[in-house]
Amino acid sequence: MSPAKRATRKRPSAKRAAAKRRTVKPAAAPAAARQPMRRTIRGGRPYFFSDPAIDKVLNMVIVLGSEVWTLRERLAAMEAIQVRQGGLAAGEVDAHEFSAEDEARLGAQRKEFIDSLFRILQEQVEEARGRPVRAKSR
Amino acid sequence: MLELKHDLKLAKTRDEKARMNFVSGLRAHVLNDMASGMRAVWDGEVEPAFRQHHQRAPANGPEVHKAIRQNEYFKFYSSLRVTAQDMVWQSVFPPLERNRGALKAKAAGLAGRRKGSLTLKPGFEVPRYVSAIDVHLMAGNYDGEYEADDLAAGALYDNGLAVFSFGLMGQNLDDIGQSIAGFIRLKYPDVKPKKILDLGCTIGHNTGSWKDQFPNAEVHGIDVAAPCLRYAHARAEAQGRTVHFQQMNAEALDFPDASFDVVFSSMFLHEIPKKGIEKIMAEAYRVLKPGGLMLHMELPPNSQLSPYDAFYLDWDSAYNNEPFYKPFRDLQPEQLCARAGFAPKKYVQFVIPSVGWYGEKVWSEAATQPREVDSDKTGRLSDGIMWYCFGAWK
Repeated sequence: MSPAKRATRKRPSAKRAAAKRRTVKPAAAPAAARQPMRRTIRGGRPYFFSDPAIDKVLNMVIVLGSEVWTLRERLAAMEAIQVRQGGLAAGEVDAHEFSAEDEARLGAQRKEFIDSLFRILQEQVEEARGRPVRAKSR
Repeated sequence: MLELKHDLKLAKTRDEKARMNFVSGLRAHVLNDMASGMRAVWDGEVEPAFRQHHQRAPANGPEVHKAIRQNEYFKFYSSLRVTAQDMVWQSVFPPLERNRGALKAKAAGLAGRRKGSLTLKPGFEVPRYVSAIDVHLMAGNYDGEYEADDLAAGALYDNGLAVFSFGLMGQNLDDIGQSIAGFIRLKYPDVKPKKILDLGCTIGHNTGSWKDQFPNAEVHGIDVAAPCLRYAHARAEAQGRTVHFQQMNAEALDFPDASFDVVFSSMFLHEIPKKGIEKIMAEAYRVLKPGGLMLHMELPPNSQLSPYDAFYLDWDSAYNNEPFYKPFRDLQPEQLCARAGFAPKKYVQFVIPSVGWYGEKVWSEAATQPREVDSDKTGRLSDGIMWYCFGAWK
């Protein structure tokens, strides 16, 4: 691969020109109508890998990770409620607030979950620190 | 994830809260764990290779950037940081969109409840450096409006900041304001400001701290973005703080000469091009009373950081839609103040430990024991954060 490949914005010039032209805001809505908020970023986003598809797949993986976490947190809420009441009623899970103790436990578990997600990147760090990773770590 | 502590807090489902928790956790991982990992990769891999190739250490941030951006770890750090930044806002959109009507009604009920005020200017021209970009990858930026009397952009920023800051900006997102305004009160017990101005105040999250620390002062906040100001007004009223918000460009203030005792800003100058910064400094000088204090909380200048830490902070300029961030940090704060008319011997600079992170004891000791810029803590959003500010007495 060419060493000249750079981790930088990959924006085709036509797209950049288009982004420049798009400087006018969605008009300050004179009408009473409520328009949905815009959710895309003007000017595009930066990409870092040799192929922007890698950045995009990484994004998908993280969004998936977020949903996995969301399920776990929901499950924890359901369990907590069941333990407390021995049954569930409609809307109970959405309304549930964790106790300070539960919140702390979940926080620690979330950290562990995120650490394990990025375990593969830690290998390079350990090596750079001169501490080769053992085959069976943790 | 930090829950907002005021009445404008959005109603969220359990799943929406969990997504926000995840994004906060992801950001903490990237900005603490991976940031220290990247430093290790720099020290152990990239810098030795640089030294071998050039027979010297890198001279500045751009050289570090150029050397490290080929490295896979940097690419993962950066790509994940962009993903996390995007997910901050994406985690807020669904509950915000669902609650916009209720939020607007609630804000209308709060407006003018205390003695604060809101003054907007129809036909006000928002400068291009705000109207043309989505700073921090926040779609719609501070000034995007989607209906009449819209304040959704302010809500997006407030709720987004709660996810973004993973607790490092205080329980009310006012750690900067509380740490700095309180520091000034402790360090200069004879200073009793009657009028205080916060420039580029957005949702007023740090403006209110000046009212808390100096309850007898009249506190004003100005910004160019109407939706943020509408939200700021309602937010201040919800918190029981009397603050006057006005739509104004800090480059050309409507206030008379010598009318304020303190002119403050936080995380503001780095969003402005150099010419604008110079006008803002001159305006601050003009509206200050003799003996008044100008104080800007900012990221520390590159001249006071190691090449690696300069690179680390400049990441935002290259990849987080903050085109004026590095150019600002390349300037010399002393010279900016002097050019605006302040006497060089009246220049001040403080490194203030976050009161939320360090606690009252360490924080208050800093008022009597000056600190230098700590290259890998000052201005960096990670554990052990310290706030940098500079300014001058008129």
